[in-house]
Amino acid sequence: MNSPKVPIVIFIGQPNSGKSTLFNSIAGHKAETSNFPGTSIKHTHSRVNIEGRLLDIVDLPGTYSLCTTDPAEQVVLTHLFSERPDLVVNVVDASTLSRGLELTLELVELGYPMVVALNMMDVAERKGIQVDALKIEKILGAPVTPTIAAHGRGVKELLERAFDVLDNGQSLRTVRWSGDIEEKVADVERLLPPGFPVISNSRFTAVKLIETAGHACGDFLGEVEPGLKETVDRVRRAIEEHRGAPGYEVISAERHHQAMKLFEETGRVLHGKRMTWDKKVDAVLMHPFLGYVILAAVFLAFFLIIFKVGSPLESLLLGPFTKLKEALSARLGGGLMFYLAEGLIQGVGGGVAIVLPYFLPLLFLMSALEDLGYLARAGFLLDAFMHRIGLHGKSVSPFILGFGCNVPAIVSTRILESHRDRVLTSILIPFIPCSARTTIVLALVAFYLGPLWAMGFYVGNLLVVAVIGWVISRFMKEPSPGLILEIPSLKAPRLVSILRKTWLQVYSFVKFAWPLLIGGSLVLSLLSYFRADRWINDILAPLVVKGLGLPHELGVTLVFGFLRKELSLIMMLQALGVDYQNLMTVISREQIIVFTVFISFFIPCLSTFVILWKEIGKKWAFVSAGLSIGIALVLSWAVRLVL
Amino acid sequence: MNLVNAPHNTPLRIVDLVGGEGTRRRLMALGFHKGDIVELDGQAIFRGPLLVRGCRSDTTIALGRGVAQKVLVELVHEQP
Repeated sequence: MNSPKVPIVIFIGQPNSGKSTLFNSIAGHKAETSNFPGTSIKHTHSRVNIEGRLLDIVDLPGTYSLCTTDPAEQVVLTHLFSERPDLVVNVVDASTLSRGLELTLELVELGYPMVVALNMMDVAERKGIQVDALKIEKILGAPVTPTIAAHGRGVKELLERAFDVLDNGQSLRTVRWSGDIEEKVADVERLLPPGFPVISNSRFTAVKLIETAGHACGDFLGEVEPGLKETVDRVRRAIEEHRGAPGYEVISAERHHQAMKLFEETGRVLHGKRMTWDKKVDAVLMHPFLGYVILAAVFLAFFLIIFKVGSPLESLLLGPFTKLKEALSARLGGGLMFYLAEGLIQGVGGGVAIVLPYFLPLLFLMSALEDLGYLARAGFLLDAFMHRIGLHGKSVSPFILGFGCNVPAIVSTRILESHRDRVLTSILIPFIPCSARTTIVLALVAFYLGPLWAMGFYVGNLLVVAVIGWVISRFMKEPSPGLILEIPSLKAPRLVSILRKTWLQVYSFVKFAWPLLIGGSLVLSLLSYFRADRWINDILAPLVVKGLGLPHELGVTLVFGFLRKELSLIMMLQALGVDYQNLMTVISREQIIVFTVFISFFIPCLSTFVILWKEIGKKWAFVSAGLSIGIALVLSWAVRLVL
Repeated sequence: MNLVNAPHNTPLRIVDLVGGEGTRRRLMALGFHKGDIVELDGQAIFRGPLLVRGCRSDTTIALGRGVAQKVLVELVHEQP
């Protein structure tokens, strides 16, 4: 690869251990963090230079253990086992140390060089937990450094110790289990054939063979080495007969008890000092009545704030662009140059002045909710409602993320254990109004008809999602495995982290969406210069004019919307040949609603379609697209009839 | 007795985890094992999920009714 070789350092920890925060403070703010189990599903690679030394650092998604059936967590195993890292940084939440140590013990079994970051020491302290880091270090043989990643405390020491391990190596001490289990592990270990793809060391490999669901490495193992599969089965049966529980459970319990013992030996809980403050807040947030009032208030405030911030900002920013266009039109007349300039201004102006004002506050608030840890609580509150549409509370987080952008929301469905839940959630997410559609709803419905209309539109949209979910779940009858969701402790969101996350998303919006918006706008300009848009409009006229009662010119706009939703809005103005402020002179209130309904339910965008294809397969991606087109047509037609 | 019909705000010992392998594995990965002491901290309306707190690790999980039924528990103070 590279010469001289740059050491690979992998960050691994349980969800919500502050792993990404620590990674960010080292990598210089590149990984996204949030306070919901399983949100950093994509892993991030960064090359960093620390005091003249290069490191390749990798942030992996959080995982509870190294023996998992969860699709999001399996990414971790694949990565950890296939790419042998030079160092593992195990991030442990000190405030839930007893559980965190289970993964630490497993990593010690794995035996790669490692350092432990005992993170969130401040939270632990507030809870009255005292930890003797040195003692843990002595028992495990790996450096243990207390850190508070959110404030950058202890990071320097952690890195120093990491370099020390990289330079001088270390000798980890695997804590042994009960004799009878160790014997059984040794049985499998002995029978590992020469040339067997051992992961790190033979004991770890043997343990994984026993405890992994089904047969590790799949049936391929049985073909290559039929004897080994028999041995593993025999050992599993022997453990089960002896202990009265399946092998995986016995091994997991051994580790669990070791972790508890380790915690007892090295930690102390001062009960008098127990933190009661956030318990009280949680009691209100998840109260059977108040919880829902707060949930409703949060959402209401969410959209009001976005509108209150976005709408004046929009008017402010639009002014210069309108003036510029007037000036150009006076100078360039009606030639090709004017059309191109107009397209350019519409594209840039639309991106800057119409989309960004709503987009920015939405992303900011969304990040705040995520960091606070509210998504998991919303999942808890809404579980019962989700059951009505055949899902459970764990799907709430992907749905809420969908209000920001459907693409990461669909990726985040990997946190769902069952394939059926993933498919159903992924099919429904495209109907959640993402920020692009929120922009359209706010810019058209709220701006011209009033915020209450927009709110009603939203409620209607969610009802439609519920109905679609209910109908589809009638066809997908397999039972859902039910809700098992960690409720992480509440964290005061830090402005830096929220701003960083907002910036990352705005950046990717500017980078990917603006070229499309500007390009699309230019294409439309050219089409209208050469009068090609008429043909498309003529072809679509029966549908657009007769069916939906919309102006003839909007045909092109509706089709192009599938590239990106914001494009529809910008192209609409361009196609109608008016400025945003004068829209109502050429189109009626009813037409605005019909147009918005169609745009909202029509295929969200090209990227959503691509990600659906990638995540749940071609078949479901086309089902989703078909559903979108059908529902958009039926609903907008129905709305036209009603109005 | 299982978690659905157990009393709230009182220490409970997990006697057994029944149900499918997937559910059991998930519960164990989250640090909930046979013999552990847990407490019920709350529940959502409309037969919604239960909040279960592991007393040792001080971690809280939300369990749907279906899953909660599969966690068999006993009262801690009834034990000698």
